[in-house]
Amino acid sequence: MQQQQPAKPKKKIKVVRPVNGIDQEVEIEVDADSGPGWGPNDKHTLLNHPWPRVDGPLKVSGAAHYTYDMRPKGMLFARILRCPHAHAKVTKFDSSAAEKMPGIAAVIQGPLTELRYAGAPVAAVAAKTPELADDALRAIVVTYEVLPHVVHAQKAAEPDAPKVVAEEQNLQQKAKAGDLAKVEAAFATADAIVEAEYISARIHHACLETHGVVVDYSGGETATVYASTQGTFTIPKDAATQLGLKESDVTSVVQHMGGGFGSKFGIGVEGMFACKLSKQTKTPVKLMLTRQDEFVMAGNRSGAWQKIKAGVKNDGTLVALQARQYRLGGVGQGSQAGQPYIYRAGDFYREIYALHTNEDATVAMRAPGHPEASFAMESLMDELAYKIKMDPMEFRKKNLRDPVYHRQLDRGAKAIGWERRNPVPGGNPGVLKRGMGCAVGTWGGGGNDACKVDVTIGRDGSVLVSVGTQDLGTGTRTFTRAVVAEELGLQISDIKEEIGNSKLGGANDSGGSTTAASLSPSVKDGAYKARMLFAERVASLFDNAKPEELTFTNGNVSGKGKTISWKQACAALPSAGVTGHGVWRQDLQASGIHGASFAEVEVDTETGHVKPIRMVHVQDGGLPLNRLTMESQINGGMIQALGMALWEGRVMDEKLGVQLNPGLGDYKIPGSLEIPEMIPIIDDDDKREVVIGIAEGCIIPALGAVVNAVFNACGVRVRETPLTPDKILMGLMNA
Amino acid sequence: MSKSHDETNGKHDPSRRSFLKGVGIAGAGAAVVDRIWVEVEAKEEQPAAPETLSGNVKVVLDVNGGKVPVEVEPRTTLLNALRNHAEPALTGPKLVCDVGTCGACTVLLDGKPAYSCLVLAVDAASRKITTVEGLGTPENLSVVQSAFIEKDGLMCGFCTPGFVTTISAYLKKNPNPTLAEVQEACKGNFCRCGTYPRVFEAALAAAKSGRV
Repeated sequence: MQQQQPAKPKKKIKVVRPVNGIDQEVEIEVDADSGPGWGPNDKHTLLNHPWPRVDGPLKVSGAAHYTYDMRPKGMLFARILRCPHAHAKVTKFDSSAAEKMPGIAAVIQGPLTELRYAGAPVAAVAAKTPELADDALRAIVVTYEVLPHVVHAQKAAEPDAPKVVAEEQNLQQKAKAGDLAKVEAAFATADAIVEAEYISARIHHACLETHGVVVDYSGGETATVYASTQGTFTIPKDAATQLGLKESDVTSVVQHMGGGFGSKFGIGVEGMFACKLSKQTKTPVKLMLTRQDEFVMAGNRSGAWQKIKAGVKNDGTLVALQARQYRLGGVGQGSQAGQPYIYRAGDFYREIYALHTNEDATVAMRAPGHPEASFAMESLMDELAYKIKMDPMEFRKKNLRDPVYHRQLDRGAKAIGWERRNPVPGGNPGVLKRGMGCAVGTWGGGGNDACKVDVTIGRDGSVLVSVGTQDLGTGTRTFTRAVVAEELGLQISDIKEEIGNSKLGGANDSGGSTTAASLSPSVKDGAYKARMLFAERVASLFDNAKPEELTFTNGNVSGKGKTISWKQACAALPSAGVTGHGVWRQDLQASGIHGASFAEVEVDTETGHVKPIRMVHVQDGGLPLNRLTMESQINGGMIQALGMALWEGRVMDEKLGVQLNPGLGDYKIPGSLEIPEMIPIIDDDDKREVVIGIAEGCIIPALGAVVNAVFNACGVRVRETPLTPDKILMGLMNA
Repeated sequence: MSKSHDETNGKHDPSRRSFLKGVGIAGAGAAVVDRIWVEVEAKEEQPAAPETLSGNVKVVLDVNGGKVPVEVEPRTTLLNALRNHAEPALTGPKLVCDVGTCGACTVLLDGKPAYSCLVLAVDAASRKITTVEGLGTPENLSVVQSAFIEKDGLMCGFCTPGFVTTISAYLKKNPNPTLAEVQEACKGNFCRCGTYPRVFEAALAAAKSGRV
């Protein structure tokens, strides 16, 4: 019989939690030996202050080594051969010529024989240089049986459309909610109704470091896999399977990574190929996707097609909403949050469908499904507000229960100068017309108990915090140090961190904005426990003071009227120092954030060109761990949303079924000339003493804010992203 | 060749690079270059006419004030030579697009910013190459590098070497830029995390310090 662990003593504490969108005090259970909480947000020495990131010196000087930069001795370079057809079967595969070419170490065919999108991986080669690997790809002869394809979503829904998967329908209902009869009755009570169709383009992550791995394996029992991933611990098991090794004999390393935005979990098909090639050649292999690979086979943000009808009272009350939502996920499922999204509608009814096309499967991207739903809903809310001649901001407040949104809208309005806005769309004189828009959003951002953190205080005064987590550029390394330094009364520079290695303590994947809320409580717990162990060990220096009687400030330890420097006190430790093993504390984190975005744009009514002028985003998140990096992340959310609103979108050739813009020259991400004045605002009226992740919350509403600003500026409602000049000119022409 | 050696004053014309990369036939990698600087020919007279190079070529690159010998194909880009052939590897310049659209591989050629993915290694042999590693080290950061850290002009950091290099060169040319001029100077560099506002701040702060 399994031995029962003695139950840990528990205590009950009260914390603030949002319940149905309203913050309320609730009771939760925590371990009785847990230390105190974070304390008031404005009482920290390091946390909630702006700190430059600790990996900055490495990153600005080229000394930070990313997966792409790894070059184990003798390493081979691998490349993937992609299918040129949108739908085809491989009937013949001949790599004999390629295999005989100089410098080619191995060619392997992929497992798929039916390929359902242009860009699907067919084979991979490993060669002494990337140039030779490219040559070998051209020498592989593949014969395809080309099958009918469909890449246009609306056409894929038609009954006679080519089937993406032979035995399945392209259009599949995935969910429905609400009461159709009630909604129909509610429409009868509405004073105004808007019915509209919204389409959002598929968006590419365009991580600057492409997906890929470097497999350092030369035969034998162990391997190290460097991976550009958001999950250090998502690598070893799958890599080990491909290499034929034990999971525990494969170490994954993620010291720095060049952007993921939701797309990088697991070894992927590129990792599978790299491991197989490495196993076959008993030689280290690098397989980083090329930029074109990245566009056509590494996944993208779901497209969306939404038909919505909504009814409103003249006083601004949303009484009814009916939605038919299509997730455009290519061969994948896609994602889309249900309408009426974050708003309260008297009655609603929605049906959600997955609509398949011959395009690669969408993958998670920063708040998957949410900017898409937000774009449609925030556009619709705007249309309703204008229809009943109500201020769009007041209209939103009317239909938002949570008072946090109200204060954030007021704050943002002040920052952008909402009072300057002309309430008449296109009402400003001249060719260049300015306008403003707003939108709101929410996200979870809570953590989980995956992180196991060791905090070791050395006899020489050193402090090391170890955990296998990864820093995506979000500032994880920096706040990890800061949390420990805050607890021990030291400076950030006094702490060293080791992360990004699967041999260190476990950690969760960085998805769903869960890293900060999972990691920081565990780090604090480890630091607190190390501090208590430390205090016990050095008690004799302080007249045998109890651990909780010692205070740690400004690099000093004090107790019973005595103050000793940190270093001196550490000298009393045993040679191995002391180590606190930190685990997650639920009471130090929470879920549920709010954000309000505002945008001001200038539309050239002769060219249809939109110039962003100013963007504001107000974001809460409990205790900001680092104000500098948090503001950077808010800026990043706004800029990525701006790209979605105005420039970005995958363009497909219907006839050939191939992507027409698979590169950074044609797929337009925001560049330096388009960046407006950016005003990131941390909502310090959020007094919750908990850590919450904000990465995803701050990308959602800015998209709607920009789209609505364009309407306010020129009076053209564009219901399909991106808002390129052709669409605006067409709207102006039809006005 | 669309431009002769004289017209380009011996400098590399990046527009040819995609052509040269394309002419590599199975394993041969033959290419025509208008000027070479290979070890064996170094002591000889400059060849007057274009010469055909093929196979592997030994080249000595002048990088960050040191000699870096590499053995590359004529079609190998400067970027790949630095990253894949130099010992130890110079991985500050990043490979992001490999076709001159993103600026992550920016290096200085005789002090001027250039996309190292658009320059052949054999063409770079006569040039003074500076990579981000040559601008400052973690222990001895340049003013521009320090400003990037202070203003948080980086997140994932993959675009950062390119931006740092571009701005370092630009501030030498224009030590007192306006915000608009900084934005113009950075238009050849892409960032995906959205660090632009703080990259601009970093450039302006570095300029303001008067120590660039």
